[in-house]
Amino acid sequence: MRTKEGQVGGHTLSGYAVVWCRDFRLQAVKRRSGRGVPAALVDDTQRQSIVLCCNTLAARSGVGPGIPTVQALARCPQLQVDRPSPAAELAAGRMLLETALGWVPGIEETGPGILTLDLATQAPAQWQESASHLHDRLAALGLEVVVGLGETPALARLAAQAALHGEVDVWHLRREERLEKLDQLPLIVAETGAGLNEKLRLWGLQTLGAFSRLRREEVAARLGDEGVELWLRLTGRIRRPLRLAKLEQLFEAHHDFDYEVSEREPLLFVVQRFLEQLAGRVAQTGRAATAVHFLLTFADGACHAKRLPLPEPTLDPGLLFRLVSGHLEAFEMKAAVVALRLRFEPSDPVASQKTLFGAGLKNRHHYEETLKRLRKIVGSDRIGSPRPIDSHRPGLFEKVPLPAELSDGDSDESGPPVTGSTLRRYPLGFRTSVQLRDGVPLRVESSRVSGIVIASAGPWKSGGDWWHEGQQWERSEWDVELLNHGVFRLVETGREWLLEGYYD
Amino acid sequence: MPLTGNSKSDALESLRKQLGRQIKSGSEFLQEREQKTIRLVTGLDGLNAALGGGLPSGQLTEIIGRGPSRGGGVIMAALLARARSEGRYVMLLDIGAGFSIGSFPERDLESLLWVGCDSATQAVEALDVATRDENFPLFLLDGRDCEPSDWKSVRTQQWYRILNQLRQREAVAVLFARSEVTSATKHRLELVSRLALDDLHQERETILSRARFQPVQRVTEDREEQLRVG
Repeated sequence: MRTKEGQVGGHTLSGYAVVWCRDFRLQAVKRRSGRGVPAALVDDTQRQSIVLCCNTLAARSGVGPGIPTVQALARCPQLQVDRPSPAAELAAGRMLLETALGWVPGIEETGPGILTLDLATQAPAQWQESASHLHDRLAALGLEVVVGLGETPALARLAAQAALHGEVDVWHLRREERLEKLDQLPLIVAETGAGLNEKLRLWGLQTLGAFSRLRREEVAARLGDEGVELWLRLTGRIRRPLRLAKLEQLFEAHHDFDYEVSEREPLLFVVQRFLEQLAGRVAQTGRAATAVHFLLTFADGACHAKRLPLPEPTLDPGLLFRLVSGHLEAFEMKAAVVALRLRFEPSDPVASQKTLFGAGLKNRHHYEETLKRLRKIVGSDRIGSPRPIDSHRPGLFEKVPLPAELSDGDSDESGPPVTGSTLRRYPLGFRTSVQLRDGVPLRVESSRVSGIVIASAGPWKSGGDWWHEGQQWERSEWDVELLNHGVFRLVETGREWLLEGYYD
Repeated sequence: MPLTGNSKSDALESLRKQLGRQIKSGSEFLQEREQKTIRLVTGLDGLNAALGGGLPSGQLTEIIGRGPSRGGGVIMAALLARARSEGRYVMLLDIGAGFSIGSFPERDLESLLWVGCDSATQAVEALDVATRDENFPLFLLDGRDCEPSDWKSVRTQQWYRILNQLRQREAVAVLFARSEVTSATKHRLELVSRLALDDLHQERETILSRARFQPVQRVTEDREEQLRVG
């Protein structure tokens, strides 16, 4: 590729790139075909059809914007004529933006086929190479662009214009060689009005470099606001914030059905196609999806919208399909569907490193799917990683999500030794008749177990929640060993005796 | 050239001898496969010894305690502690939801996913789903409070499907029950020791060292049917 570079100098702290797609409307229509032949877009909505824009090959044959189509065809018989296509422009614009997102995240859609990129997130040494890479990627996708690099958005745009005029792919206007580079550029590159250009030409100024060497006061006195604005632009004194494109609205696919769809299969077919398309588009930006937004419009005018979050960013089409199809299968469609919209919520791919000696879930997506299915079987309140809660009331625990990573287990083994056997609870307890002698259990009878107590320990009294009205509790626990049966826990609550569980 | 009667029998004999050198008998094959089985070392000497080195991966092992206080809960806690120290996740399918959090050190709970189940059927259904997940190398199915008849509605095919899934993932499932449950189990041990009241004050290591295991004869499908009925 052709590249015109400035000399290598010191690094600038800020930098911008302007990606300019020449004859964007025409390229959008002729992206897949018609390259290498003269082509033009025409407006035939008026009484006389006229040329709106044309490519370089057509221009060489004397075709230009504004001339009648008949005249253009007379000058260039091989001219391919097309009408503008807003849909093709939208698709090409998205492709341009999505591809540029693979370079930096901060991008402004400055105009049709024109992007301004904030390069602050990348080292200056890599700008040139990244710009060339973007140019090549877009060329492979059928879009011919030039890239201008500069220290302000205005200078980057000027560099892009210079690239267009100089017919180079990348033009870098570095701060330390700005004047020398501007000396090479004609006034027309600055996109100023014809009046100002003519005035400057009459003054004998031929290049932008010559103009920027003038003193600001003199420019202001003779040329007014328009002259000062140009002078400030050329000297890098105008900096404006970029209106960054919102990624959320970018990765979206929409389909209006020609007929009302009441079965799931046709929907799933479209869903799968959309997911593959969107995954491919997001992948080009080096990102992944953190959630899928799903919107169905029904024939009765109702809508169903759902955000389906992913446990971690992914672009696995199979996984995404299972996510959406699982939701679709669980959802009851009360009317036929007339439109489907899918949108990816993009995010940077997870950059996590497992702890050096720890372990973690091998596949979080699979784990989340398993959880979802288990919840359907046992209920969502009966699954989780158990943790004790801050209460003396026995048996209570909370269920928290299983940690995605485990710390090194051996480092935690410094606690006191664990004593005793484990208790297995009867969740509701069994009402029990307890025969006492001198306040000590002697015989136990319940529907679960009955027997003679051969050893006992207790009572262990506890209570709490007296500060909450109506929730106060008090209990006395006994551990009893029943002949030929085992070791059990008995509880006296004041009103009754309960067999609470057994040690095992 | 066609073979005559004698030469045909000689050729067959020779072929049998050659094949005999290359092809193993069924029992030899099973023995070799058993030796090659990867085992999850439990840290419990008695259990390891009874199972030939540890819990066999890709298998369902039944640990039977025919009544309360046989030590099944302590074994479960030890397996959980071992898994935690090795950074493995464990899923506990708790039939009857009798889990008592105070019996387990908090550090061991970090790697535990507890699933409370209402019935044996529900727990096996959950196990069927869970064993397809490669995140869990160890599944504990706690059916200590189940009656033998509670298992009768579980289909044998479902057990074999679970086994197949365990094999694919090289995972281990341990079923704690009061009696034999399924013919799909190749390894079945009975806890023959019994806890006493004094054990509540003993260190858990001491209790574990006293646990005694006894292999139980494999349940045939006929016997399984009897178990279901009775």
